[in-house]
Amino acid sequence: MAAPAATAAPSVPPSLSLPPSQFARIQPHAYLLAHLSPPSASNQPSIRANGRAPSQFRVTSANAGSLTHTNGSAVVRIGDTAAVCGVRAELLHTEDIASWSVSQASSSNKRRRLADLGEKPTEEDEDEDPEDDRAHIEDLNLLVPNISLSTGCAPGFIPGAAPSALAQSLSHQILSLLHSTRLVRADDLRVWYQQPNLGPEEPERHNENEQMDVDAEQSATIEDKPREIKAFWVLHIDIMIISLAGNPFDAAWAAVLAALRDTKLPKAWWDVDNETIVCSDSVSDARKLSLRGLPVASSFGVFEADAAAGWRANVIPDATEQTQTGKKGSPERWILADPDGYEEGLIQERACIVVDKQKDGKTTIVKMEKNGGWTVDTEDLRQLVEISAQRWDEMKRILDQC
Amino acid sequence: MVGPTASLSNLSRADGSASFKCPTTGYNVLGSVNAPIELPARRDALKPEEATVEVFVKPGNTTAGVGERYVEGILRTMLQKVILGRERGFARRGVVITLAIIGGDAVQRGDSYLTILPALLQTSLLALLSAAVPMSMTFSTALLAVTKSGDIISDPSPVDSKTASSLHVLAFSSKGHLLLNESQGPFDFDTWESVRERAYTTCRGTAVAGSDGDIAMGEEGEEGHADGFIRETVEDHLHRDYTWKIDSA
Repeated sequence: MAAPAATAAPSVPPSLSLPPSQFARIQPHAYLLAHLSPPSASNQPSIRANGRAPSQFRVTSANAGSLTHTNGSAVVRIGDTAAVCGVRAELLHTEDIASWSVSQASSSNKRRRLADLGEKPTEEDEDEDPEDDRAHIEDLNLLVPNISLSTGCAPGFIPGAAPSALAQSLSHQILSLLHSTRLVRADDLRVWYQQPNLGPEEPERHNENEQMDVDAEQSATIEDKPREIKAFWVLHIDIMIISLAGNPFDAAWAAVLAALRDTKLPKAWWDVDNETIVCSDSVSDARKLSLRGLPVASSFGVFEADAAAGWRANVIPDATEQTQTGKKGSPERWILADPDGYEEGLIQERACIVVDKQKDGKTTIVKMEKNGGWTVDTEDLRQLVEISAQRWDEMKRILDQC
Repeated sequence: MVGPTASLSNLSRADGSASFKCPTTGYNVLGSVNAPIELPARRDALKPEEATVEVFVKPGNTTAGVGERYVEGILRTMLQKVILGRERGFARRGVVITLAIIGGDAVQRGDSYLTILPALLQTSLLALLSAAVPMSMTFSTALLAVTKSGDIISDPSPVDSKTASSLHVLAFSSKGHLLLNESQGPFDFDTWESVRERAYTTCRGTAVAGSDGDIAMGEEGEEGHADGFIRETVEDHLHRDYTWKIDSA
């Protein structure tokens, strides 16, 4: 090992020490461990090899509206992981939906039934029931996210290759998170058609005295007139990870969030004469999506000082007591927030927490995952939720600025 | 309530196999395990000292899609930690687990995969036991749903899980560690804590009996919790296998 050092600098006597970069490559586990548990004699704090504190996230930046040909786009960079997300809206005519008339009838029945039961919508500012929302967005697949890692983002991913298992599972996670958080309102995606009121009320309208009455009457008749959905906007959400240095999910989700906040849908209406949907060209007519909340994802990894410790404790019964006593003395594992590519290779146990905060500052967990080990339990998860809540504030600030 | 049913070693060609049927969710999963086998495309650069765990999930009526890739990833990370991949004969080789969903509702695109995850985990565990793959611990899983009114239902039916506000899948090891948690849908931490408590009870019986699973074999046999179910299934199978010996004795 000392040979290359010696040939590089022949004047210096050969030493057995390695430069830190070589040590990091040869003994990655020991390298990170040495950083996290410095000898007590030296007064160094326990920091990660990348200079961050265990619960510190990487520097995050977001930039919205980067792509001109999309309805909404964003570039989010978390450290050296960068994700580009573009949202493209396409129209789906209801006449192209095979089961439309059937499902429409059933959903309106359902709505009536719910109304009969006097069931109140659970959301605070809801005027539509969540079942209807789900029926449209999920059953008609109005949100189509796709993540691409085959961009040459990291050495392990061959450019142009078929989507890897990781990319596919990330696509699924993003889609299921979009569904379970109900981030996009179905109402934003509907193109309505109100049949014009061609009734004989026109002349009465000029009667000034009865203005109020007529208005009320007319609005009542409008309610009676069938207002039908003519089309839906389908949002194709494409995410490209252009550089991958660990933690792709947080970056991809942040990019999706920023892009959806940036998304503007053109004003669209049903043209009766041409029997088609017409969109307005003017930007001022376009409206933004009104998203439900701001769920922010934070990922964590658990770095264990001795990866085999857990095994030994279980395989050799006598070892259990030793590790129990040893655990008290020094922390044998570190929970690292936002692991980078180097750390991810050394991590088996992971946790991912998606939180949202309501207006009153109450934290709601939207998704909580923990897998790949047995060291994290209730107390750790509680702390992680707190860290995620802090991260939420930070991300909100970043996303509001972009 | 009718409990799940399972049988071991149904397939003759695989090293180990198991089928698991859960009446409340209606899922029926058939799993096979081949281990240790030589994997053709194994890259030794990745952890040469350990066995590679491969999981394949095949839905009943379609080809596997992105949802299956996701659930395969969950199973792989969890089982990799439980299987003793450094045992003699396992290093550099593969443990291949194939799970076929042969009954129950198909999971649609973008749907939550959590409803079927417990059945998949239980099947893979039973199949691994049937194949005699060395493991550091066994585990048991629970699926719980929190309704909009805040009630916790264990083993929710498909309708319950559709209408539930949040779904939780938890797995506990035979030593009482929390091995896996997958929670989806809005909830707060206090809710999760009570969900965890409830899941612990369903998985491992009362919290007191938890600490040493191996020793308290006699008392652990009580029905109703998932850990006991695994043990009973394996015991029954062994009993059947050794009938000739028991009879002759």
